[in-house]
Amino acid sequence: MKIFKETNIQFVKYTKMAIAVSTICILIGIISMLFFRGLNYGIDFTGGTLIQVQFNRDITTAEIRNALATVKLENSMIQKSAGMNEFIIRVAQSNTTENLSAQISAGLNTLKETTYEIRRTEQVGPKIGKELRTSTVWAIIWALVVIGVYISIRFQFRFAIGAVLALVHDVLFTVGFFSITHLEISLTTIAALLTIVGYSLNDTIVIFDRVRENMKIMRSESMTTIMNCSINETLSRTIITSFTTFIVVFVLAFTSGDIQVFAIAMMIGVIVGTYSSIYIAGPIVISLQSTRHAEKK
Amino acid sequence: MFKKTNIRFIIIAITLILAAYMVYWTIAYHTFSPEKVEELRTAGSLEKYENRIVRLGLDLQGGVHVVLELNLPKLVETLASNPTPQLNAILEATGNEYKSTDEDFFNILSRKVAAEDFRLVRHFPGLDKFKNDEIIDYLRDEAKDAVQRALQIIRNRVDQFGVSEPTIQKAGQYRIIVELAGIKDPVQARNLIQSTALMEFILLKDAQVTQSFIATVDNYLKTGRQLATKDTQPIAEDTLVTLKESKDKAVSVNELLGITEAETGLESTPADTTLLVDEQLFSEKPFSSLLRNIHNFIGVPERNVYAVKKILNNPEVQKLIPYDSKFLWSAKPERVTTPDGETENYYLLYHLNRETGIQGKYITKADARYGSTQTNAAGQPIVNLSMNNEGAKIFSRLTGSNIGKFLAIVLDDKVYMAPSIRVKIPNGQAYIEGLDDMDEAKNIAIVLRAGALPAPVDVIEERTIGPSLGRDSITSSIQLGIIAFIAVILFMVIYYKGAGLLADMAVLLNIVFVMAILATLGATLTLPGIAGLILTIGMAVDANVLVFERIRDELTKGKTVRAAIDAGYSRAFRTILDSNVTTMLTALILMQFGTGPVKGFAITLFWGILSSMFTAVFVTRTIFNYRTEHKILQSLSI
Repeated sequence: MKIFKETNIQFVKYTKMAIAVSTICILIGIISMLFFRGLNYGIDFTGGTLIQVQFNRDITTAEIRNALATVKLENSMIQKSAGMNEFIIRVAQSNTTENLSAQISAGLNTLKETTYEIRRTEQVGPKIGKELRTSTVWAIIWALVVIGVYISIRFQFRFAIGAVLALVHDVLFTVGFFSITHLEISLTTIAALLTIVGYSLNDTIVIFDRVRENMKIMRSESMTTIMNCSINETLSRTIITSFTTFIVVFVLAFTSGDIQVFAIAMMIGVIVGTYSSIYIAGPIVISLQSTRHAEKK
Repeated sequence: MFKKTNIRFIIIAITLILAAYMVYWTIAYHTFSPEKVEELRTAGSLEKYENRIVRLGLDLQGGVHVVLELNLPKLVETLASNPTPQLNAILEATGNEYKSTDEDFFNILSRKVAAEDFRLVRHFPGLDKFKNDEIIDYLRDEAKDAVQRALQIIRNRVDQFGVSEPTIQKAGQYRIIVELAGIKDPVQARNLIQSTALMEFILLKDAQVTQSFIATVDNYLKTGRQLATKDTQPIAEDTLVTLKESKDKAVSVNELLGITEAETGLESTPADTTLLVDEQLFSEKPFSSLLRNIHNFIGVPERNVYAVKKILNNPEVQKLIPYDSKFLWSAKPERVTTPDGETENYYLLYHLNRETGIQGKYITKADARYGSTQTNAAGQPIVNLSMNNEGAKIFSRLTGSNIGKFLAIVLDDKVYMAPSIRVKIPNGQAYIEGLDDMDEAKNIAIVLRAGALPAPVDVIEERTIGPSLGRDSITSSIQLGIIAFIAVILFMVIYYKGAGLLADMAVLLNIVFVMAILATLGATLTLPGIAGLILTIGMAVDANVLVFERIRDELTKGKTVRAAIDAGYSRAFRTILDSNVTTMLTALILMQFGTGPVKGFAITLFWGILSSMFTAVFVTRTIFNYRTEHKILQSLSI
């Protein structure tokens, strides 16, 4: 079976349009992040307490809220979880020394004819959360630097710029998506973000590798032709790998909790990563080349 | 060429046998019944298993993950001689700043001390160090030492608690990470780890002294309240709640203290806290009215505890407390039935000497047991204590000169019991009673044996996962993994036919290899780790896709099957290498940066990709080679 016969799409022609579309999408994300919805940081980053409880009967969030009011925690975030009669209760931390989970239990004990099982508790101090935010930003920056250096060694410096900018594009796009959908940013989301970086890079490298090869064969051709040709030649591989990876993360999206958010982030990442490898990374390399040519003239 | 293929098969066979051997241990271990595990443990061969299996992470088998941080202000305060309010204020300010910045505690302290022109040598004499900076360096060393000691003590406690494979390690400068897998009662475990275990025997103040203090507070509150009533007419009238008991009346704490709502606006206190008070007494003696007499000790009904604490913490009231005394609460409430048949929980409030009678460091033995029939605690769980000679001497002097007085046994600032001293105790024997059950007795005995922490530790992060949630996670993630696996397998077979089958085999092998690598490394499989494994299924076929697409290209160029395969593999290899190395680099960074769950993900991703290069390139190539050499493969099913 073969889906892609010899394609000859002039990808580079759409560069301007692609960059315009990407810029608009990213800007919408950034505006949402800065002025409207912000980012929904989980307790890993803000500090706070989270409890996952399973009740023995049908129960409404209002009932739970009333029970929590007896311990002055009625402002907690109460969320239905995937399991049967399962809820996640979140409290922002006001003081590190307070044992909030004990307090929540005391509140839930006031519920009549109800038993419950605490399946998970998480308590994160505000200092830890803050440290995590700093180290996350560093992790992403380091990942980009290391990747840039590797590509500079294996390819050329301008390929490194193209690849890294495509990755920055993917990260900004995904974070913007998280801001607009208000999905929670947790440790797992960060893992997803870095996986997207690695994954999108995979696609980019495969294309660049073909460019590297074709540059030797098609010496007389322009960079634009080489790029178009390389993208077309690798297109079938790019689509197939994206598809198999997409199948997997799509299946993972049927879990619950952190892994589900991970899978959703990855679904977005696979699509955006594939797109940026084709439409963003390559054209940037070409534009860097043409400016250098212009300087020489 | 023929030989070369044989060598390749031998390499594959050896790797596969090794991998299967490693995976066997893991599968065997995780399918053992609890009885079998116990049997192996007694036979001493369980360790053999535990050293070569993939362990399940806390999120999969349930357990506790706690990050503790040494309470540095408290540590410095403990080290200082005669801490003054000024020193305490500096330490508190330093502690608060430390909580909200990344700066080192002692750097902040150094700055604060300099800013206040405070001379530390006043509190740290006899060190032969006079400059603030020298003393701060000394304190920094002490703190490092204290963390090491705390680590050792916590390790001792956990070992005695009996958890298999605990993780106890230092993190950062003043932090300790404790991970306990598969324990039933996380709260108890946490208390065991966290308790400072500072044990003291302290004499109670004479009843008259306490009485006169209560009277003073009554007076103070009464005048305060009258003033407040005069100033603001409708004093929180709307916050009054009528209780069913007629003679008891509900009052707001603020009314009691004579403060208006506006003044307390900043505090986190619930404004409408209601109290159980005796109305008759209330107007005359506002403080006493909150208290009850429980076997001649001060009893505080549970709902009044908050109010009493607030009154005692009031700076004005603090000044009224006799300088040589302090107040401590009982460790747990006592259930008392009133004459009208209602039960209420009472906490006891103890008025103690500020000075410790004898410290717990003299304790040499602590055992949990049931009280013998001759004692008051017959049949109840108790902790039996023995002291060394020096301790016995001090204890004997202490008891001998205070017959008739009460001696409180205090653990971490909570009073467990306060028996009266009837006779001089010469042999350094004592026991603690008033415990809930044998488990509590055992845990107290453990912390006393393991010794006190050099300073309190704060829990700055805690994650508890119940065992049932872990089981659910395993089941659902394995199901999803199988679904994802089948979907990918089917797609590959449909798209690449025979070659696709080969790629599928490579993916399957890859899973076995990753498990074997994890077992060899003694790594832990977490839920994100499983996600990483599932993800490598999707990404592992990539190498084969690259190869197959190349082979197809070469075939369309008119090459023979054999030549197409050779060219396909050799040309695709460089691409595979470059694209996989970059993903592995990101995985490495995730490993460095990540804590628990993220690290688990990065580890499986890293090894998954590495081993996929072996299975997808080396293994499939060998099979292709074999088939072309034996002329089985005339045309390529790709």
